[in-house]
Amino acid sequence: MAQSPSGSAVKALQLELKKIQAEPVEGFRVKLANDDNIFEWEVAIFGPPGTLYEGGYFKAHMKFPPDYPYSPPTVRFISKMWHPNVYENGEVCISILHPPVDDPQSGELPSERWNPTQTVRTILLSVISLLNEPNTFSPANVDASVMFRKWKESKEKEKEYENIIRKQVQATKEDAAKDQVRVPTTLQEYCVSSIPALDNQVDADFYDDDYVDDLDADEQEMYHEEDEEDSGNEES
Amino acid sequence: MAAQAHAIDYDPERNYDEDTLAQQREIEKEIAESQPLISSLFTFDDIVEEYTREDEVYRHKIENLKTRYANLRKTRGDGNCFFRAFGFGYLETLLSNPTDYQRFLEICEKSKDELIALGFPQFTLEDFYDTFIDIVKQVKNPGQLEKLLETFNDQGLSDYFVVYLRLLVSGFLQKNEDDYIPFIDGERTVKQFCSQEVEPMGKESDHIHAVALTKALRVPICVEYMDREGQTCNSFMFDPTESPEESSPKPALTLLYRPGHYDILYPL
Repeated sequence: MAQSPSGSAVKALQLELKKIQAEPVEGFRVKLANDDNIFEWEVAIFGPPGTLYEGGYFKAHMKFPPDYPYSPPTVRFISKMWHPNVYENGEVCISILHPPVDDPQSGELPSERWNPTQTVRTILLSVISLLNEPNTFSPANVDASVMFRKWKESKEKEKEYENIIRKQVQATKEDAAKDQVRVPTTLQEYCVSSIPALDNQVDADFYDDDYVDDLDADEQEMYHEEDEEDSGNEES
Repeated sequence: MAAQAHAIDYDPERNYDEDTLAQQREIEKEIAESQPLISSLFTFDDIVEEYTREDEVYRHKIENLKTRYANLRKTRGDGNCFFRAFGFGYLETLLSNPTDYQRFLEICEKSKDELIALGFPQFTLEDFYDTFIDIVKQVKNPGQLEKLLETFNDQGLSDYFVVYLRLLVSGFLQKNEDDYIPFIDGERTVKQFCSQEVEPMGKESDHIHAVALTKALRVPICVEYMDREGQTCNSFMFDPTESPEESSPKPALTLLYRPGHYDILYPL
């Protein structure tokens, strides 16, 4: 498994990063957490207008495995996120992010799984839609799940869940101000940035094959080492 | 190693998935270091040594294969062997068959838009397709065998090729959902089956994968099943044609199946 799968990962990630930055997509922004490491991204998700999350600016880290895109990345919220499908440590539990080898959701609702054609964009769009439509069948945060169901079943009269979310949304405004980001709060603003994405004219140089060549062997080796150091601390 | 140490003091609070995955990666690494993705040619005398003298059933079957086949190529046992064996084996035959090459190229070129229409994300699908079609086009010029072998042993390129074949199988099954739902076990939809058993890398292929791939690309293949039953291998034709009149009894390539694994056979 030495160099080449990681080479594929570097190529795929560079291609995606370039594409997203050239054509920003509705609802989120991405950048590298550290310019020297393509395997860790910092993402910011805008709360969708018309939901409890409206106006929110939620930061998360995405970490990609060396065999990306054959295995999915992990997504972990840095901003506080009280949600049925987010673990206490911020890690997002969603079917699209489950590696094909394990099957924690067997016998569960039909839902989209990871395959190598999934991208950062499809993942983040799934996460955004998960915010407002939690899956309470296999909760990662049972308390949040129970609270969410009470809120839903009481026709939004039991405000506990709603109050927590609104408080968390409020708390993210500081981050947005610090990053000098104005979070879109109307649907029109929220979607306006998706217009370039509808344009199918893709830059010819997206298909250049020489991204990997830009990295020397030392840099590729570095990705390996970092990944090994970091593995194993996901869930406790 | 870590997994064994912890097995003694099992800690219910701990999540062992990472250990299991690490161990699995270790095993995969060992296999990767000892087996090329597609090997050079072997004779049957080379593989007969894999079986003990007492193993009469297999030894007998190998003798029988020798009467019909000259050589074989081994593929790496990484769960993708069917796709890789099919891919390399078929492209190798196209090196000396320009007519079939043209026909195959046209089918491949049409497949991309069909898969996008089925809902696969265009951006990444095109990335896989571009690599796939570049490899297919390598066989345009005869005498490129060494280059082809090199390509299929380049993990990055070879795996992209396999991904695209997997997507073709998934697309074919989803398009013909009504025909294949009776063959899917468990209470799963065809789409679920595809996302669990077809699209993920390393998922082994079953009969249904072989049917779908040969039909999607309209390439007839033969599989020699070498198991413990009977005295000779059972051969099975995967014939992509729908009606008996147009059926082509001659396979484009033949694979050898030994439980859990596919290799490529070369007729005498």
